Amino acid sequence: MSLNYTVYEAMAVAISHELNDNENWFIGLATGDATIQILSRVPVVGMCLAQLTHAPNSFMAVAGWLMNPVVSEIPTAMETEFGTALQFWRCESRATGYLAARGECDVGFGSAAQIDKYGNCNIVCIGDYYRPKIRLIGPINQPGHFSLFKREVIIVDHEKRNFVDKVDFISGVGYLDGPGAREKAGLPRGGPCLILTDKCIFDFDPETKLVRLKSIHPGVSLEEVIAKTGYTHNWIPDSVPETPAPTDEELRLIREVIDPRAVLIPRS
Amino acid sequence: MPELKEKACTLSEAASLIKDGDRIHIGGFSVHNHPMAFVYELIRRGVKDLTLVGHVSSCEVDILVGAGCVKKVEISYVGLEEHGLAPNYRRAVESGQIELEEYSEPVAFERFACSSRGQSFFTTQEMLGTDIPKYNPKIKEMISPYNGQKYHLVPAADPDWVILHAPMGDKYGNVLFFERKQLPERLDETAGQSCANVIVTVEQIISRSRVMGLSHLNILPRFRTTAIVEAPYGAHPSSFIKLYEQDRGHMGMYARMSRTPEGFKAYLDKYVYGVKTHMEYLNLIGMENLLKCRVVGGTLV
Repeated sequence: MSLNYTVYEAMAVAISHELNDNENWFIGLATGDATIQILSRVPVVGMCLAQLTHAPNSFMAVAGWLMNPVVSEIPTAMETEFGTALQFWRCESRATGYLAARGECDVGFGSAAQIDKYGNCNIVCIGDYYRPKIRLIGPINQPGHFSLFKREVIIVDHEKRNFVDKVDFISGVGYLDGPGAREKAGLPRGGPCLILTDKCIFDFDPETKLVRLKSIHPGVSLEEVIAKTGYTHNWIPDSVPETPAPTDEELRLIREVIDPRAVLIPRS
Repeated sequence: MPELKEKACTLSEAASLIKDGDRIHIGGFSVHNHPMAFVYELIRRGVKDLTLVGHVSSCEVDILVGAGCVKKVEISYVGLEEHGLAPNYRRAVESGQIELEEYSEPVAFERFACSSRGQSFFTTQEMLGTDIPKYNPKIKEMISPYNGQKYHLVPAADPDWVILHAPMGDKYGNVLFFERKQLPERLDETAGQSCANVIVTVEQIISRSRVMGLSHLNILPRFRTTAIVEAPYGAHPSSFIKLYEQDRGHMGMYARMSRTPEGFKAYLDKYVYGVKTHMEYLNLIGMENLLKCRVVGGTLV
């Protein structure tokens, strides 16, 4: 089957469907060019699409500080958080960030090297903390995304090693070890709502708090998702719907209005 | 009339103030505004056993760790943004060569504000449920006597020395920042107020009379500073917001060479040990590369 859109366009559309009007959204910096693509460029398109279709009263903070920038005029591909080109990017406000501890931020976007069956995330180390096999970047702002924001959209390349039963280090708090654990830990609110990959979308069972498959992107088979997912619990429901394909109007908005120069999402 | 004390000195004189085992904060944020000329001088002097207390770091921590100057790092992030993981830091942590004390990013910021207020600790809820306190015994837990909720206590940063790179200042140690400050510059301002011993490198030393006409920009008046050093392009290869961009070509080369200890040694031999002064370093980088990074009009936005 040949599709008339790219996987990044489909992911941006899926993000837009998760966002509501009158919300505040946040993305910070990412490390490594592949992560910048899925964690910065794709969500910016998704947020912008939501604003154009159903969420005009929302605010997005891009690179942590540019609020409601004129996305079609984006001067660079957002390689760095305070690059000079970004300083010249027109936006609605740059004076203030969200008061996350007051609960002003509704949705954050994050990624991780490991995401476990309860949605706990790890960007600190693979293996033993004191003698890790791979040392990663460190917690940076991930704890706050999962404790002070109202919900977190996790975006990750669909590789088997990213989906584990238990993370080696919890830097983003999912549902810990099950129902009631977040409350017991004293967390004021929040937690992950979705895991979006290039193959499918996962969400969380409201009863067990376990990761479950929510939908598979058009053109992807269940076998392919199973082969690339490391979870050992029962994460596949009896019937799995297809992720809604982008509509012609959504594709037009992305290609003609949001990203006319294909800076954020390559056309092919 | 008695004379004002002059605080302008050479990079070498300023770096000699830092002793083995000191607890220092190096200014800047991520790949921006690091006092790299000073960092290179520390490496040339062979300083050892430093504790680096910071928040979001890149090349400045990676190169000091790789050069064997560091015992411990207190931090929320060390990475090279688009250039990937920090290779020397990664090797040192994986081999157990350095000790870590980790915090989340806003908490790491707040530790400096806490010092600037003269307080010993503050409270936060954002690291609840994470494994950070499990491996960081400095973080304690308490129940608020006011609302009954669980909080973490976090100690102030309390560095022995703060080293910053700023746009300009006079030879008496007044330091001027640009009027509109973004996160990296605001963090530097707070860090400059968190410690009694502040060393600042500046793009240019200007006259006292010009400082008196720009007093609204004098964020670190001379009573706060210990030494001031003129170091044009002193943040290279990190960016200096409003004046020059990150040298992406150089940073990419640093990341590639540092993938192996041998490659990193070749980098150090050429760019740090191979030059005696900051001017020699700038000549090695070359006029064309420096001009490519320049941002004309960066102060206007």
